[in-house]
Amino acid sequence: MSLPTDFGPDSGGRIKGVCIVKPIVYGNVARYFGKKREEDGHTHQWTVYVKPYVNEDMSAYVKKVHFKLHESYTNQNRIVVKPPYEISETGWGEFEIVIKIHFHDPNERPATMYHILKLFHSGGTRDVSTENGKGLVSESLDEIVFQDPTQLMHHLLTNTKQLTLGRWEHNTNFEEKKEKTQKSIMDAKQKIRTEITQLKNKLKLAKETISQFKDEIAKAQDNQFML
Amino acid sequence: MGDVRDIMELERPATPEVTRESILGEKNKKRTSTGSKLPKRPEGMHREVYALLYNDNKDAPPLFPSDTGNGYKQTKIKLGMRKPRKWKWMPFTNPARMDSSTFYHWRRPSDEPKEYPFAKFNKKVDVPTYTDIEFNQHLRSDSWSKEETDHLMDLARRYDLRFIVMADRFDSDKFSKRSVEDIKDRYYKICGILNKTLQINGERKIYMYDADHERRRKEQLKKLYERKPEQMEEEQFLLGELKKIEARKKERERKTQDLQKLISQADSQNETPRKTDKKLPKKKIANPSRPSRIDTNQILQAVETAGIKFPDYKNSGVSLRSQRMKLPANVGQKKSKGIEQMLQDMGLELNPTPTEDICQHFNELRSDMVLLMEIKSALGTCEFELQSLRHQYEALTPGKTLAIPPQLLSTTMENETGKINSEIIDVVGSPGTPLNT
Repeated sequence: MSLPTDFGPDSGGRIKGVCIVKPIVYGNVARYFGKKREEDGHTHQWTVYVKPYVNEDMSAYVKKVHFKLHESYTNQNRIVVKPPYEISETGWGEFEIVIKIHFHDPNERPATMYHILKLFHSGGTRDVSTENGKGLVSESLDEIVFQDPTQLMHHLLTNTKQLTLGRWEHNTNFEEKKEKTQKSIMDAKQKIRTEITQLKNKLKLAKETISQFKDEIAKAQDNQFML
Repeated sequence: MGDVRDIMELERPATPEVTRESILGEKNKKRTSTGSKLPKRPEGMHREVYALLYNDNKDAPPLFPSDTGNGYKQTKIKLGMRKPRKWKWMPFTNPARMDSSTFYHWRRPSDEPKEYPFAKFNKKVDVPTYTDIEFNQHLRSDSWSKEETDHLMDLARRYDLRFIVMADRFDSDKFSKRSVEDIKDRYYKICGILNKTLQINGERKIYMYDADHERRRKEQLKKLYERKPEQMEEEQFLLGELKKIEARKKERERKTQDLQKLISQADSQNETPRKTDKKLPKKKIANPSRPSRIDTNQILQAVETAGIKFPDYKNSGVSLRSQRMKLPANVGQKKSKGIEQMLQDMGLELNPTPTEDICQHFNELRSDMVLLMEIKSALGTCEFELQSLRHQYEALTPGKTLAIPPQLLSTTMENETGKINSEIIDVVGSPGTPLNT
C-alpha cells in the first residue's frame, strides 16, 4: 500500500466536525461434523469474521484485527492483518470472542466488539439462521463511528477500493431487519408516549384532588376550632 | 562412678571397678578392717538426702553447734579510713527575723558558718505607702475613710497580701464588715493610683482587679456547689433532651439536602430538549408546617421530568454505534430490569441493530419507559395520600367523607379488571353483559 508522504503519523490534528461512519458485520458461521470427533471431542467447525457491510477494502484503514479466543485454544490471541479477517477453528463449546480492530493511525484507539460464538440453535436468539448447508450463522451489524478523524485517517477512510467486483452479500438481510426494528421501536415509542400522556393527566387530577382534599380538611379543622 | 550408675539405673558389673581403692589395694584393706559397713541406701531415698545423713566420715552429724572460734564469723567491715567528723549543738541567727534572737541547731563545726539557708524564703511584699497629702489628693474615697484605708494597708503589710486572712482580721468593730473582694478592690485601686501618679514603678504593669466579676464568679461556684440531687437529675435530663433535639434537627437538614439534590437533578434533566410538557407547580403548599407533604409534592414534580440522560458522544475518536445504546451507569438495577421487562413484553430486541436512527429512537423509548415507571409509582404515592387524607377528613367530620375520582383508584386494579372483563366477554361471547364498560 502506498501512502502519500505528506501524511506523517503526527501530521496535523483532527479534522473537526467531520464524522465518517463505517458499517461492519461481525459474527460466526458454524457447521456440525455430524458426530463427535474421536481424538479431541470436537463437534463443530466454525469461522469467526469481521467484514465491511459495503463492498470495500477495509485494509485501507485497518491495520490488523485481533481475535481473542478461549484460553483453552493454543495461540489464544489470533491476529489477521489482511482481508478476509477471519479465523477458522474446531471446537465443542460456545464462548465469548473479543474482536479488536486496530487502525493504521496509532492516534485512533482500537474498536472493540464482543461476539458470543454460536454453535447451537438456541431459542430466543434471532441472530441465528440456518443457511443452505452452511450450518448456522450468528452475525451482527454495527457501525464504527470516526468522530473528528485525524488527517491521515480521513485520507485513508475516504480512499477505499472495492473488495470484489462480484456481488457483496451477507447471510442476514440487514436492510429488512433495520426497517423492521425501526418500525417496531417507533410503534413502541408511540404506545409508551400515549400511556405517559394518560397517566400524566391522571397525575394532574390526583394532585388537584389532593389540594382539594387538603382545603376541605383545613375547612373542617377551622369549623372544629369554632365549635 | 557409682552415682552415675545409680542415676542410669544400671546394675553393678560383676567385674571389680577400676577405682582408687582397687588401685591402692592396701588402703582398701585397711578401711574395710576399720570402718563399719555402710548401711544401704533405702529404696526411694534421694541420693542427696542420703549423703547428708552419712557423709564421708561416716559420722553422724553433730547435734550441738560447735564453737571453734573463727568459724564463719568475719571481721568488722572497714568503710572509711578517715576519722568521723563531729556534730555540735551550735547557735545561729536568722536574718529573716527582726529581733535577732539566737537559736540552736546541730551543725558540723568544720563547716563554714553561713547565713541561715532558709532565711531566703522569707519574702516581703512591697506594700506601697502614701502620705496624708497624697491620700487627700488622689486616694480619697466615699466608702473608705483614711483610718480604714490605713488599717487595710497595715493588714496588707502584716499578712503579706493574704487577703483571706486580711478579711478575717479586719477590724469589723471599728469599721464596717468588708468582704475579700472589697478589700482587694480597694487595695489594688490604691496601688494603681499610686503607681500612676508617682511614676515610681513606671514600667510595672498595673494590676486590674474586677471585683464584680469575682463576686459573680464566686456566686456561681456557690450555686454549683449547693445544687440539690433533684436539680442535678433535672439538669442531666435536660441535657439529654437537648442532644435528642440536635440529632433530630440534623436528620431533618440531611433529608432536605437530599431532596434539594433530587430536585436540582430533575431540573438539569429539564434542560435537555424533550417533548414532555413541563408543568409548573400547580399550587403553593397548603400546609407548610408539615414537611412530609412538601416532600411528596416536590418528588411528584421531579417525577414528571424523569428519564434517562444518555451521554453525548461528541468526543473525537473512534467509537462503536452500539456503545451509544448502553444504559448509563446511573440507571439502577431496578430500572434497567423494568426496561428489559417492558421491551420483552412489547416483543422488542434488547440490543437492536444499531443505526443512527434506531439508536436515537431506542434511547428515547427507554427514557420514556423510565418516565412511565416513575409516573406510575408517583400515582401510587398520590393514591396513598388521597386515601390517608380521606381518612383524616373522616376522622375530623364524622359521618362525612370525600369522594376520590374513580379513575384515580388503583390504576393497576382497573387495568386488570378491564382485562378480565374482556376475557369474560370473549369466553361468554355476549356483548350485552353489564360488565362491558
